[in-house]
Amino acid sequence: MPAATELRGSHGKAAGPVLTKDFGTADLHKLGVYEKVGGYQAWRKALTTMQPAEVTGEVKASGLRGRGGAGFPTGTKWGFLPPPDGGPRYVVVNADESEPGTAKDRYLMENHPHQLVEGILIACYAIQAHHAWIYIRGEYDLQHDMIAAAIAEARAAGYLGEQPLGKDFPIDIHLYRGHGAYICGEETALLESLEGKRAQPRSRPPFPAVKGAWGRPTLLNNVETLSTLPWIISNGGAAYAKFGTEKSPGTRLFTVSGDVQRPGNYEMELGKPFSHLINDLAGGPFPGHSIKVWWPGGCSAPVLTGEMLETPSDMESLAAVGSMGGSGGVIVADDRRCVVRCAYRLLQFYAHESCGKCTPCRVGGDWAVRTYERVLEGEGTAADLATFDRIQTGLAAGRCLCGLGDSAGWVIQWTMERFRDEYEEHILHHTCSVEAGARA
Amino acid sequence: MPDPTPQVSLTIDGRPVTVPKGTLIVEAAKLIGVEIPVFCYHHKLDPVGACRLCLVELSPGPPRAQTACTTPVAEGMAVRVTSPMAVKSRADILEFELTNHPLDCPVCDKGGECPLQDFTYRHGYPVSRVQEARLHFAKPLPISDRIALDRERCVLCYRCTRYYDEVAWEQELTTNQRGVQSYIATQFDQPLQSVFSGNIIDLCPVGALTSRVWRFQSRPWDMDHTASICSRCAVGCNVNLWERRGELMRVTARENDEIDDGWICDRGRFEYTHVNSPERLTQPLVQRRPAAWEGALSRIAAGIKGRGPRLGVSIPADITNEEAFLLARLLNGPLRGARVVMQGRTSLPAPPLNQLAIKDLDGCHTILVVASDVRADAPIVNLRVKKAVAKSGARLLTVNPELIDFDRHPGVEHVAYEPGHAAAAVRKLFDHPLLQQGPVGILYGDSAGSEDGAAIATAVAWLAKEIGAKVMPLYRATNERGVLAFGILNGDSLDGCEYVLTWGQALAVPKGVRFLACWDDFARPYHDRAQVVIPATTFAEDQGSYTNLEGRVQFLVPPLQPRPPLRQGWEVLQDLGLALGLASDYLGIFQVQRDAAAAYPAQAALAVPPAPAPTAAPVAMGAARP
Repeated sequence: MPAATELRGSHGKAAGPVLTKDFGTADLHKLGVYEKVGGYQAWRKALTTMQPAEVTGEVKASGLRGRGGAGFPTGTKWGFLPPPDGGPRYVVVNADESEPGTAKDRYLMENHPHQLVEGILIACYAIQAHHAWIYIRGEYDLQHDMIAAAIAEARAAGYLGEQPLGKDFPIDIHLYRGHGAYICGEETALLESLEGKRAQPRSRPPFPAVKGAWGRPTLLNNVETLSTLPWIISNGGAAYAKFGTEKSPGTRLFTVSGDVQRPGNYEMELGKPFSHLINDLAGGPFPGHSIKVWWPGGCSAPVLTGEMLETPSDMESLAAVGSMGGSGGVIVADDRRCVVRCAYRLLQFYAHESCGKCTPCRVGGDWAVRTYERVLEGEGTAADLATFDRIQTGLAAGRCLCGLGDSAGWVIQWTMERFRDEYEEHILHHTCSVEAGARA
Repeated sequence: MPDPTPQVSLTIDGRPVTVPKGTLIVEAAKLIGVEIPVFCYHHKLDPVGACRLCLVELSPGPPRAQTACTTPVAEGMAVRVTSPMAVKSRADILEFELTNHPLDCPVCDKGGECPLQDFTYRHGYPVSRVQEARLHFAKPLPISDRIALDRERCVLCYRCTRYYDEVAWEQELTTNQRGVQSYIATQFDQPLQSVFSGNIIDLCPVGALTSRVWRFQSRPWDMDHTASICSRCAVGCNVNLWERRGELMRVTARENDEIDDGWICDRGRFEYTHVNSPERLTQPLVQRRPAAWEGALSRIAAGIKGRGPRLGVSIPADITNEEAFLLARLLNGPLRGARVVMQGRTSLPAPPLNQLAIKDLDGCHTILVVASDVRADAPIVNLRVKKAVAKSGARLLTVNPELIDFDRHPGVEHVAYEPGHAAAAVRKLFDHPLLQQGPVGILYGDSAGSEDGAAIATAVAWLAKEIGAKVMPLYRATNERGVLAFGILNGDSLDGCEYVLTWGQALAVPKGVRFLACWDDFARPYHDRAQVVIPATTFAEDQGSYTNLEGRVQFLVPPLQPRPPLRQGWEVLQDLGLALGLASDYLGIFQVQRDAAAAYPAQAALAVPPAPAPTAAPVAMGAARP
């Protein structure tokens, strides 16, 4: 059991109001410490004093929205599960955090594993599932060990097992290590992988709530989403809804990376502008430089420009400027970065991580990479602007089996939309003033 | 009968259509002749929505193109196949498909019958804008003796791997790598072993999986084909026989949902090259010297006439009903008393009355398989049992000394018995929990000849009566059931016969026979001892019919004319009858069929002309290209 006495993964010290309220407490990962700060009281409250429907009601009242990327209302998602029919149903935890620029689930798992375990137990009770599976990213060694230790401690203390807290509601939590692909974080591909098959998305419908793991009703939630549950049950959904905006209530754990002075994880109330996150919490750009381009929610969310830093962080405000909340991974690039090269690097990622199941994503990403390579080598022709546009429409517009293709298409679409002059410079003049300036 | 499925009305490009609830849009469109192109979708496989070629616009629906192959119809839905958004979506997908496709159509066996070609003409962009080099793989790659894989042509529709998983239940074909590097591969690079492998050639919508047996032999537009019946076993799968310039070029499946469900096994698909062999016998021989038919047949007649039980006749597994009828006339007359054996048959007796049809397997609650793995005896029935289990939820109980391939599927129950005691094992099953709810179907064989077929049949008949089941004897020889109806079989071997007529490859010709005549398509070692050898025709030249293992009579439609002096089997038998002094004046096979049907009520179907082949569906018109 590795020791985790220091807070990992962040330069920031500020503890937020919900997810990270106890951060800074020494040995928070240990059960005794967690219990001292109120740990497992929410689980006790839910299991011993509430009906499952009341738990779901509190979550609905909180307005919590999924923190994995799509931002779907959590309580509504729980309501999609058919009523129990006596057969098995599962909670599956998406801990396959692999969106570029996103390390918040990792931060929660390695520093505060019991909070997640408690959240899983609450979710199991709410949907009447007796088994939960944590599909954890294969590269997350420390995090896996921390969670495994927390589950063992909680089991020994009687919080889960055959009779948690003496109640006749058996629960078991299983850890399953991921198979090392970005696509494993897509919910249906994750289920395929969990079942031991190639991680490739399934056609939807049926949705996992109806037909998920092993063909049974399955609730899939992200680590951060589930880690929020203990606070909501302890303090009430209405209290949670006081944070944030009306449609995007609560707080969110953002990962800031790239050209900022203090990259790290920061919990911030939704609706506050990104300038607060990037400039105040993460220290802002390096002296002498300015922020040119940034991705508000992992690289799958359409890019925004440096002038848009005052955009509020709630999902509606992001949608209004053509982007999305995504995974909460904020990637910042300053004026030394060539956007065409950034897009090329991202397309390499999407092409490499495409599972190959559906045609547009399998072929489109690779075609885009090869076109970028030609352009960056100074061999672009005017027709390539049309080619990029062609690939981008073929990828996006919902034509792929899952969102990976859309995301790849958006990178091309929005970098071209917002930095067309850089593209034209590369393609028509075969130069890059940005990189030339950075070298000078 | 359950309530009929509710009907749903919708429009496709403005044309109304009403279909059962749950029908996929792509199937509804087929009914009114609207083409929605597909690669990954296949009506016998579960939809996956992988190729994305079937994109259409729906209203009400999201402002994005949707896949017609995964979306069921809804009441009042308006499907737009030719809207600008749908047309562009599909053209974009086709352009992606062609980005790495080698476009080696002139040397590709699929050329001329290739959906990728056809769809590109009908739905694609007129010019290619791809400037980049195409991906390359080593090719062609033999993945078995009979199948070659070209990974460059592959569009990764996964029909082949899905077929292996869903239909054949074999773990031989998989996908390696991911993204654009994905390719189809055999498991651990071992050659395919399955007897069902050839269907992936028919399934492949491009030239990625091609037959090595047919490879580079002919082009699709050069061939004619007939709708015929496979002659390799008693299932009677429907096939197309493809001919060019008097040669049989290839065999492909011809879907008949009541029998084969669109699949054929590798024996049926690949075992045809002997038809074109230059080694074929073509000339009657008397004492190894060429002779005329008349002389050869009168020599045979003299050798076999009136020998009673000292005469032995060996008949081939694929003897037609018409030939068996004409032979029965001889056996009831000049050859009375002769011993008749059939090659490759089981020891199962004549069929019972409570026959289970192949298509009824789909509706069985429980299927009981006794003393056979079905795969060797009746291969395509094996796939039908798997379909009933996988798609209709049938329970499966296998009774065999060893585990058989069905037993790899979870939930299949196995009952073992000591070899030689199958009948006793069957009698013990009457209170088995799986057999208490019907309908139950019982399939039984004779364990490749190692069990007493008559005893198993008796035990199965008793069990079927006890529990109210229907049964299907798994005959092995192609027309075993038809021949049993004529009542001519009365022996297992030719031992002790002094006068012998072999037809086809005989099991064993006893030593020291006084007279031996051989009627065969190829020379065999024992022909050296024959006084007379006459050439035989094959399924590709013979008219006639087979009765399959469920009692269905189906007619051969030979694509080839017998090359003189070759003559069809029924003609030779008629002339042999004449030589034996039997009056006969059949001018064509229809008269033979009429007489056979009149004389043998069990074969009455011989007089019923086959249903006319369905006229070709009108060419479905698709969207204009963008």
